[in-house]
Amino acid sequence: MLLFSRAALLACLGAGTLLGGLSQAAGRSGPAAADGEWTMPAKDFASTRFSALSDITPQKAPSLHPVWTFSTGVLGGHEGQPLVVGGVMYVVTPWPNVLYAFDLSKEGYPLKWKYRPDVSPNAIGVSCCDTVNRGAFYADGKVFYNLLDGHTVAIDAASGKELWNTLIADVANGETVSMAPLVVKDRVLVGASGGEFGIYGWLKGLDVKTGKVVWTARNIGPDADMLIRPDTFKPAYDAGVDAGAKSWADDTWRTGGAPVWGGVSYDPELDLIYYGTGNPSPYNPEQRVGDNKWTASVLARKPADGALVWAYQFTPHDNWDYDATGSMVLADLAIGGKSIKALVHFDKNGFAYTLDRATGKLISAEAFAHVTWAKSVDLATGRPVLDPDKQTGLSKGNVKGVCPSLEGGVSPSSPPAFSPRTHLFYTSTNNLCMDYAAARSTHLKGTPFIGANSPYMAGPGGNLGAFIAWDATTGKKVWENKEEFPSWSGALVTAGDVVFYGTLDGWFKSADAKTGKVLSKFKVGSGVVGNPMTYRGPDGRQYVAVYAGIGGDWALLAGDVRSDDPADTRPQADFIKNIARHTSQGGMIWIFGL
Amino acid sequence: MNRWIALFASLAVVSCGRQDAAPPAANSGPPAVRYEAHIVAGTTAPNGVELTNPHNGDQAVAQKGALMFAAMNCDGCHGGDASGWVGPSLSDQRWRYGGADSEVFNSIYYGRPKGMPAFGGTLGADGVWTLVTYLRSLPVPTTVPTESWDDH
Repeated sequence: MLLFSRAALLACLGAGTLLGGLSQAAGRSGPAAADGEWTMPAKDFASTRFSALSDITPQKAPSLHPVWTFSTGVLGGHEGQPLVVGGVMYVVTPWPNVLYAFDLSKEGYPLKWKYRPDVSPNAIGVSCCDTVNRGAFYADGKVFYNLLDGHTVAIDAASGKELWNTLIADVANGETVSMAPLVVKDRVLVGASGGEFGIYGWLKGLDVKTGKVVWTARNIGPDADMLIRPDTFKPAYDAGVDAGAKSWADDTWRTGGAPVWGGVSYDPELDLIYYGTGNPSPYNPEQRVGDNKWTASVLARKPADGALVWAYQFTPHDNWDYDATGSMVLADLAIGGKSIKALVHFDKNGFAYTLDRATGKLISAEAFAHVTWAKSVDLATGRPVLDPDKQTGLSKGNVKGVCPSLEGGVSPSSPPAFSPRTHLFYTSTNNLCMDYAAARSTHLKGTPFIGANSPYMAGPGGNLGAFIAWDATTGKKVWENKEEFPSWSGALVTAGDVVFYGTLDGWFKSADAKTGKVLSKFKVGSGVVGNPMTYRGPDGRQYVAVYAGIGGDWALLAGDVRSDDPADTRPQADFIKNIARHTSQGGMIWIFGL
Repeated sequence: MNRWIALFASLAVVSCGRQDAAPPAANSGPPAVRYEAHIVAGTTAPNGVELTNPHNGDQAVAQKGALMFAAMNCDGCHGGDASGWVGPSLSDQRWRYGGADSEVFNSIYYGRPKGMPAFGGTLGADGVWTLVTYLRSLPVPTTVPTESWDDH
């Protein structure tokens, strides 16, 4: 039954200012008075998810309690995070992508307005993995975000009126949009999901005032399409001319995927944007022999014209759906007695990478999760040292015991945080392995292009997830809080040295950033796959907000958490039998205070 | 590999044959379905031609349908055992748009909102009936409708 493919799809994420301590290199997101705000998805251009607020300390955190909740009225997976600017909280829901603006200065936080776009329901079935949205970006009095059916909109923050609406993606060809945009200078940067539909992946730069598409840069394909120019493209590991096409058998790059569904980071000093690309299509690697550049890679571009400056591929010829769309965190780290302008990335493939963000040269790569597909990463060549027994493909049959699973050592949907005070990174992790049986797949426009059956099982220890603290200068785990279920929320860390995260079964937790000791926990309305954020309210107090609303991959992998459709009843998944015992779908915003 | 080529050859035949396996009642008005998922206004259901599955219960066709379910990427949305993925479960004998053979046929042939593509143009009527026959052959999961975690 070689032909009997069962899709085990995957995974589909978020983007940053170092305040104090380590570095100003990434630039501040605003004046000092704005530290109590949260204007962009990952707090700052450097994607640190670090807030300088410090009212909530390890001593006070045990008294954290919910002060307000609000149902979004939407059941899809609530990834992403709210924004708070000028005493207003902005919330984007999953499809149908309603934008709410709550007035935090009034009792009960009533709405100032809500914007209800006309979003095609056809996009639901063309989304690989639920109808998620990873958030909005506030700049210059406007809220920018993406609609699932391939539109970017700019909304007047004061009135809620639509200022522009640009079609950027083609749903009929497998493109949907789940990522949060990044706004740099006069560009709005957006990309499309569709690594499971054989898209020809891209990033676009829109004009911030009009929404007009200024440039389109492909992530794969010939140099001209990728906006690669010999005078500006200087990768640390040279791949040759037209590598984005020549590293693919025949012209398989044309349907080769490389979606963008994670966040984009920006270094104002180097004037470079950084983003990760997703998996090559299809999952059966024998249909696309070669390195498949630049899938499963990080790309550094100039925001003004999109020119590619360098690229680094984490997983050449990805055999396992190891998207590299996870967050690229920019931090200056003390390594070997020197301060390095680093980019740190926790990859689905289980390695945590530190690169020189000016050049793309690899500095270190150490496993943060249980890894069997590769033994290590060769620092001289930048390439993984593969385990030949874990390479997949149609001719390889059912390859057993591949770790991590294609959900990733961490999901790109679960962005990490970095504290310049503790010098540690904080991230959710998954402890799942898989068997992987590739199958022949047909590219049929508008339908999935996958070709793999990949059942999951628990990794060593039996716990399916953990929340960890990681020292990127040594490549070592500092502490770990094991979780019964895969850990799928983003991380938040504050100058109070408290870290926040949620669990798939619906606990919202705070922990001591230095030790991991859990300081508070509260069972919110649904499993947490969103990212906590913090702000100072108009009353001067520090609050922490997070979405509840299990979904994303878990709407598929654990379909029994859904109860919304009597004509769609799912059996429990054998690797996660208990999740529906503890939670079910339902989008809610939760705000916690002291 | 050979099986793959063979399947594709057979799919091509199916596809080429779609002119004679005409879309539902092209010349005789709209298709009549039992519309078990619908309410009738008044007491009179709409007229039309009843569609019947020419392969009803044929296990050989059901097996071919299983291969087609993967080859046409149905599994990419509905799961390899049709137990639900980004698209709904098709193995629980519950149906958003009605579970009569003709209703399931129409869902595949013409597509449905929320992203179900119209496969009629690619598969032809006989190809769609082959898929219907496969779906009809699936066992119902034991956890429908009750899922229990009783510790005792």
